[in-house]
Amino acid sequence: MKKLSLILLLVVFGFQAYAQEKGSVLIQNATVITVTGDDLENTDVLIRDGIIREIGQNLNALRGVETIDASGKFVLPGIIDAHSHLNGVDINEGRNPVTAEVTMEESVNPNSVGIYRALGGGVTSIHLMHGSANVIGGQGETLKLRYGTNQEQMRFEGAARTIKFALGENPTRVHGQGNGVQPRTRMGVEQVVRNHFDEAIDYKRNREAYLQRKGEYDRRKRGVPPVPVAQNLRYDVLNDIIEGNILVHCHSYRADEILMLMEVFKDYGIKNYTFQHANEAFKVAPELAKNGAGTSVFADWWAYKFEVYYSTAFNASILNANGVTNSINSDSGELIRHLNHEAAKTVRYGMTSENDALRMITINPAKQLGIDDKVGSIEVGKQADLAIWSGHPLSIYSIAEMTFVDGHKYFDRENDADDMRISVNAGTDFDDTSNFEEIISGRSDDACMQDTFTLTEANHQH
Amino acid sequence: MKKRSTLLVLLFSGMICQASFAQTTPAHALKNVTLHSADGSVTQFATIVWRDGVIEAVGNNATIPFDAFVIDGGDSLHVYPGFIDGYATWGSPELPKDLKPLDEPGNPPYDRAGIQPERKPSELLDTDKAFEAGMKAGFTTAALGLKGFMLPGGVEVFYLSPENTRDGLFKETIGLAGSFREAPGGWGNGAYPSTMMGVMAKFRQVMFEATALQEHMNYYRENTEMPAPDRDQVLEAMFPLVNKSAPFYFEVDSKEDIERLFMLQDQFGFNTVIVSGKEAYAKSDELKRRNIPVLASIDFTEMPKWYAKTKKDEDSEKEEDSDEEEKSEKEEVVTDEEQAYRDRQIKAWKDEVTNIKKLIDAGVNVGYSSSGMDLKDLTKKLEILLDEGGLTEKDVVELMTTRTAQIIGVDRSFGNVTKGKNASFTVFDKPMSEKKAKVLQSISNGVIHEF
Repeated sequence: MKKLSLILLLVVFGFQAYAQEKGSVLIQNATVITVTGDDLENTDVLIRDGIIREIGQNLNALRGVETIDASGKFVLPGIIDAHSHLNGVDINEGRNPVTAEVTMEESVNPNSVGIYRALGGGVTSIHLMHGSANVIGGQGETLKLRYGTNQEQMRFEGAARTIKFALGENPTRVHGQGNGVQPRTRMGVEQVVRNHFDEAIDYKRNREAYLQRKGEYDRRKRGVPPVPVAQNLRYDVLNDIIEGNILVHCHSYRADEILMLMEVFKDYGIKNYTFQHANEAFKVAPELAKNGAGTSVFADWWAYKFEVYYSTAFNASILNANGVTNSINSDSGELIRHLNHEAAKTVRYGMTSENDALRMITINPAKQLGIDDKVGSIEVGKQADLAIWSGHPLSIYSIAEMTFVDGHKYFDRENDADDMRISVNAGTDFDDTSNFEEIISGRSDDACMQDTFTLTEANHQH
Repeated sequence: MKKRSTLLVLLFSGMICQASFAQTTPAHALKNVTLHSADGSVTQFATIVWRDGVIEAVGNNATIPFDAFVIDGGDSLHVYPGFIDGYATWGSPELPKDLKPLDEPGNPPYDRAGIQPERKPSELLDTDKAFEAGMKAGFTTAALGLKGFMLPGGVEVFYLSPENTRDGLFKETIGLAGSFREAPGGWGNGAYPSTMMGVMAKFRQVMFEATALQEHMNYYRENTEMPAPDRDQVLEAMFPLVNKSAPFYFEVDSKEDIERLFMLQDQFGFNTVIVSGKEAYAKSDELKRRNIPVLASIDFTEMPKWYAKTKKDEDSEKEEDSDEEEKSEKEEVVTDEEQAYRDRQIKAWKDEVTNIKKLIDAGVNVGYSSSGMDLKDLTKKLEILLDEGGLTEKDVVELMTTRTAQIIGVDRSFGNVTKGKNASFTVFDKPMSEKKAKVLQSISNGVIHEF
């Protein structure tokens, strides 16, 4: 059987897993949208070892460095999605109202083909978030979309630690109505936050006192030994929030609950946080600005549950006009492929400037994730996470043609292999692969609630 | 026929003697057999003599003691060292069903969270047809764990017996079992931890609490003026992991999950043995660096149907070269797209079935475990291991005997049929890798079981 041997010989694919690479490339004659500065026409961008080294005209590439003629094209910083569940293994540890100890860092699926689709939309980083089932959910993980590497190599080194909070219907439905535990109401949500912060502060005092007495006892072996206070992962994380080492990203919709949480945070001295979704944030934009709170919203997605009816397509523009740092996110494996369109809507609806609209998908989410010193704009010294667009990125006709992370090209529309999956399942036959993952997943569900409606699939025992 | 019944009578009387006169147990001898060793060497016309479960003599010239009950293999039987299952859940009580909803799913009792390290097979094993099935497949010894979730219990080594393996404890708690399985019950009746990340966090918390309890107990021994510790058998069962004194038998397959196990190991420093490890080959360098052995599963994904058909056609083509026209008519049309997919699919499948071979080649310490595989699939999977997995019969025997014995720490007693080892071996009617090879007798800890 010649055919068989052919099959056996052909088990080498066009696509090979990349190691985490830092690339060098010279992009020539592009319109460079720096975001933080002016747009620069007929401009070159020189990238060496993953860093933007020079921006200017008639730059020379070093020998062996790829040169790309981008005449007529646009260079935009890589889009950053501040709210994503794109490649989470699990999303919600939804059995307890507070699960600060869990982290999406340990729930990364590096093999999801959704990563590649996001690259195809010019996205280079995502904030992989825990879901919204819990008042205090798990910690988030900011990733660079280094498709083909492993979970460790996808981590965005130096990004701020983050955590998910959630207010309103989701936690009250899951825990109050679902499990009969606090919180059943919005009042209960506030109390859950306050109680846990107080417990965490108590724990810290007890733990530190014990460690001090233990040190003395172990040294001198005299007196009565201290009763050990076990390390508590959950309280450790809550204390890190109170001490400002972790940035809160809070799922929220209504203006009253947004105000409530800002009051709670004021009481505990917590600053530098972002409200996610925040459909009614426009009602309290001046208060948000005064507290230095950020928002990360949809352009025009609402009415998928009761608390999300009072909404407007002007939300982002109003927040922006009031000086709130606002980003536009996807919360969706589909929407993430065209966040440029979502940003463009703020220009269309709210007459936001083009530059401000682009900020909402680049430098603003970077600020909210603590990575704005590294990415989010095209500046010398920053990491070379960027995409080359066929036209102005806010045009409905423009598409991302190439996407780079650390100067390494992870997406190239011209050389786009037919099958970009990292792995296939040996047990799945060809005929069963056509629906292996829905490309268009629809916008009917709140992706934050992924895994929390599996009532009929009650058997998770494997 | 006649010979057979004599043999049975002899065996029967032998066993009675063994039971009633423990001090002067007569010896047994199996003579005129072909003896296969783990290293691949074969001894023709061999004799094996054993008494009280210990092998006294082996070889062509072994002297048969005057008191021995002798079984004559009549030149045609093949003896292999008893196979060892490095991690099986035979005899385990079943997983709980119909769990009641909890008042506080976020703060469940230990068992509902899947945290049961205090459980021991020697206290809980039930009768199970798997024991006999295992012996009929050539196994005489197994490290047994219990079905469960993130911390299902201790792992203990047993001599197998069809009726009563529970009393055949050879070595107690050689390690603790673990996995990333979330708490049982699903959404309606489940509990924390319900996710991979939750299991990782909860495991850490259990380790912290065990550490604190152990310290409290130590302090209290030094000075009883302090409040006495609240004893907790679950946390106390974790002390061997906290103290790094017993390995963690961790059931894990994907390379991402193996990386997650590395994260926990980096934090707590315990020794670990990977159980199942279907994608372990992808981490072989790191496994070798960390000196982590793998008790590999051979519960492979079913061979892709189109590939099985190609192989079958290939075989029949060898046999008959005629009917060319008829054949070409039947030739399946495969599109380029499907062919491209098939190439990837077969690569994935080959990666799976060559896992053990790649691990051995990379210098990783590999043994065998059924880890939940249905024994009725064993023959089929072994065939795949031999035909497609790159292993020879010698490799397979070595894998299931000396290699496994060494990993679970019983190599002083098991793995080879040599003087001084435990009398655990199996009599086949033909070489074990031949089609329809059948086990006639299984000798486990010196006791003969007829099949």
